[in-house]
Amino acid sequence: MPLVQPKVHLRLGSHAEKEYVEKTLKRFDGLIVGGNLLEATPGATASLIVKLCGKTSGVSYLIDPMTYAFGAYVDPATGKSRADLDWIKSDQKVKGQKGKVVRAIKSSYQKLSGALDTVFSDACSTGKAVEPSGLASSQIRSQVAEAVLEYQMTRIRDVFASDPEYKDIADEVPLPAALLAPYFYIEPSKKAEWSRLSWLLAAEAVKKGKSLPVHAVVCAPKEYLSDPTFLNDVVAKLPESKVAGAWLWFSRFDERLASELELLNFKKLVSALGATMQVANMHGGFFSLALSRHGMSGIAHGVGYGEQKDVVPVIGQSTPTVRYYLPPLYARFGVPDIERCFSALGVTTPKDFFQKICDCVVCRGVIASSLSNFQEFGERHYSTPVSKRAAQTPAAAKRCRFHFLLCRLRERDWIADKSNEEVIKHLSDSAAIWKSVVVQDLRDGAAQVERWGKILGTV
Amino acid sequence: MPAPRPQILREEELLAPVSRYAKRKGFGAQFAELPFFEYRIDLYAVSKPSGETIAVELKMKNWRRALHQAIIYQLCSDFVFIALPVAKAGVVDTAELSRHGVGLILVGLDRRCRLALEATRSSEVREYYRRPYVEMLASA
Repeated sequence: MPLVQPKVHLRLGSHAEKEYVEKTLKRFDGLIVGGNLLEATPGATASLIVKLCGKTSGVSYLIDPMTYAFGAYVDPATGKSRADLDWIKSDQKVKGQKGKVVRAIKSSYQKLSGALDTVFSDACSTGKAVEPSGLASSQIRSQVAEAVLEYQMTRIRDVFASDPEYKDIADEVPLPAALLAPYFYIEPSKKAEWSRLSWLLAAEAVKKGKSLPVHAVVCAPKEYLSDPTFLNDVVAKLPESKVAGAWLWFSRFDERLASELELLNFKKLVSALGATMQVANMHGGFFSLALSRHGMSGIAHGVGYGEQKDVVPVIGQSTPTVRYYLPPLYARFGVPDIERCFSALGVTTPKDFFQKICDCVVCRGVIASSLSNFQEFGERHYSTPVSKRAAQTPAAAKRCRFHFLLCRLRERDWIADKSNEEVIKHLSDSAAIWKSVVVQDLRDGAAQVERWGKILGTV
Repeated sequence: MPAPRPQILREEELLAPVSRYAKRKGFGAQFAELPFFEYRIDLYAVSKPSGETIAVELKMKNWRRALHQAIIYQLCSDFVFIALPVAKAGVVDTAELSRHGVGLILVGLDRRCRLALEATRSSEVREYYRRPYVEMLASA
């Protein structure tokens, strides 16, 4: 395999993350924006894209049409298939009727459906998910593919064109780097139908002959990584669509926790697809970057990690703590868990920390002259006078996010000229240091890093 | 003949006996559910005469998880223990606890505590974590 310099795309989850993207994007390779965010805040999102991904920036962007949101899904609470679109609904106040709420499609998805195609807007108005049978006709697939591609090509420009103040610069709006074909979650109860539909929609999108490359998104449960029939199907059918690239999204596949079989099959899939097209992990981390030695062209993730993502988010969880990303283990851990290992690792001074843990500008600034300052990455407070539990301070979360983004850039740059053997040795050396620490979670992290090395070395 | 004492069914039922035991041992200033980063120390206590501190992690059965937490608490407490119902004593690897300097308190059906393993003084204590807790409890 030739050395590939992997690309890292940042995914903008919300405008609350704008600061991170604005400050770091010029050093990354691209930006991904979901169609739902674009429709929730068209002006702000379009402006941001033009500002950060303009013609002189050298940074590309993609619009994720999020078509899967209108398909069937598996309820994480029950494990059962659902086709009621409930996960994109919210309880909404009824105007003029105090205290009354109705459960309805979120306005961002409602608007997105209208901007895409009637197949999606009909699903929203009936509250019934798009089904494979609804796209059985090639004419409808063609219409959907056309609408979804056109949306990505023209939506940003249209936002500018509709504004009298900016309409004159609408034609200067940059185009996305590629177009994503319509895609759906390959939901297990209709696996064969959804799979077939995915390949057909990818092929239909390519047939449109747009001026931009078309990429497919393979969106499936992580369990399919242990299913040779499915993986063989992807390898056989997806290249037939002639897409220029594929984004892999195995829901809940977390390379930091994945089994050896999952990692190995993921690597095999990347290698096989990489022979004919660009392959990227839609929500990946360092292991996926390391797969650039095996055909992976890049990864994407959010600013607060997002190196794995469930197709359907679990509702009702409290805001998670943004934990410290530990560069030697390529994973995040609690501040005290890491600090508890310092003495055994010989980290007793800031200089030791910068040598053995991280010397990014964020860490240098925070740690400064005292190792005790490491606690600032985990700083907590009671956010309101009535809060029952302390939560991470916004400042601590910000430190962790910027530190992570700088680490990711460094990892991308480091790996660019490393051979597979050098990467494996690096992982093995790191695991050897950390696998005897006293904290179990970190030992587990070291074992996973060792596992990555083993998989990368498997022929 | 006295009526048999009910089984200990919930972790919270361990707190009162362990708290009484700690008081008897001189650790009178106490705080339950003390936040330490993302953790909550089930019982943290200070001996006002000696200034020494203890942290106790209560668990019904998963002593390994308790040990994991106890190891972390060694950053902020001089002595760290795990406390379990006496019925679970047989499953605990005391050699493992001893290796990490973590003590073991067993709570009987009579709600009395027995020290099954002494804790050794933590060499990992960070004063910048311990001191604020001691000061908070001293002023309480």
